[in-house]
Amino acid sequence: MRWIWIDKFLEFKSRESAVSLKNVTLAEEHLHDHFPGFPIMPECLIIEAMAQTAGILVGEAKGFKEKVVLAKISKAVFFHFVRPGDQIRFHTKIESIANEAASTTGKVMCGEKLVAEIDLMFSHIDQNLGGKQFPKENFVFTDMFMSLLQGFIKPAEKSV
Amino acid sequence: MAMSREDVYEKVQEVLVDALGVDEEEISEKATLMGDLGAESIDFLDIVFRLEKAFNIKIPREELFPAEALMGNADYVKDGKLTASGMALLREKMPHTDLSQFEKDPDINKIGDLFTVASIVNYVQGKVG
Amino acid sequence: MVGIMKFVLIDKIVSLDSGVKIETVKSVSLAEEYLADHFPAFPVLPGVLLLEGMIESASWLVREKQNFANSMVLLEQARNVKYKSFLAPGMQIKYTVTVKTIEDNVSSFIGSGVCCDEAIVEARFGLRHFNLADTDPAMVHADGQVVASMKKRYELLRL
Repeated sequence: MRWIWIDKFLEFKSRESAVSLKNVTLAEEHLHDHFPGFPIMPECLIIEAMAQTAGILVGEAKGFKEKVVLAKISKAVFFHFVRPGDQIRFHTKIESIANEAASTTGKVMCGEKLVAEIDLMFSHIDQNLGGKQFPKENFVFTDMFMSLLQGFIKPAEKSV
Repeated sequence: MAMSREDVYEKVQEVLVDALGVDEEEISEKATLMGDLGAESIDFLDIVFRLEKAFNIKIPREELFPAEALMGNADYVKDGKLTASGMALLREKMPHTDLSQFEKDPDINKIGDLFTVASIVNYVQGKVG
Repeated sequence: MVGIMKFVLIDKIVSLDSGVKIETVKSVSLAEEYLADHFPAFPVLPGVLLLEGMIESASWLVREKQNFANSMVLLEQARNVKYKSFLAPGMQIKYTVTVKTIEDNVSSFIGSGVCCDEAIVEARFGLRHFNLADTDPAMVHADGQVVASMKKRYELLRL
């Protein structure tokens, strides 16, 4: 399996907002554990899909120079569950952005149904968080994520 | 935009409930952000972002939470306590907070106790007039 | 229904105080597939899976307390989930989840995860629980299947 929970971007407005999409399919192995007899997309993975959408939006706002990681889930509220065959959209916008962190709000939609509201905070880990050393290259924004932005931003925009 | 202290307090209360996931009842003027409400550095950023939006003001982070600028500096901190110049700098940066108790024992581990709900309300009221 | 488990984010229930508190553990292995992408050269458990560990821990508190009466036990809301440190291969996290309330169809909890005295994650969250047959009587068979699987899984986790 690959740790990517969105399939494509539908909209991408640099430094402002983005919309991405995910198709939920029975080929996803974890669905068969959650739950055996009635598969539904785990809520935590819906949060991850939003985090990937919003994380890329925040990362791009900084030219992908920062390693943007999820620091806090301010709020995640779920109104409906999501089933195989559903196509869900993640709408997110940047609320605040500073040197060391950013906050985003977002809604998850399935058709016209509001599935969830998810507000997140991201921080930009530097070379020495709590004495930890990190590899120099930006391991957060791999080619797997960057390829989602083809057609939305110019290829030269990721700094190595 | 002039606001009464109660109006400011109510909005600050909402911001803290949203940022810290605590219940309204847990928030009082004397409640400390770190000790009583469990706030940490990511929460301080969250609070600053939300206060900026709620009150339509700009908050340079070191104005509201200046301790971090002091902590790493040997001129200001010696043997775990603030030096005289450290204390003077803190007084200058936190005019909205009552430092009299802290001055008796300026232990840096106790700096967190200075950040109370009241000090935020005072700060915001100073900004909105 | 037997198969390889691909989505279970706790390894063992260490203790369970019915309706009150649960302690569970999870060890992280370099062989967990998602680590290859999260991140290359810096494998750490994704934050949402730390939350999932606490959700699963809380779910067992609900299922055990209600004697598996509800098939569906889902996250309804999470607030102020904070990630304090990274959990890497070779580390083991211990989750402690305490009950605030457990009612028929909703429950609320405070959870934390610790590794070697270091705080890794904290959260306040609530679950909702129900049977599919509550809204569609035709789904009673599906409810039965889910409950049967969850009972078997519970036995495994309590070994």
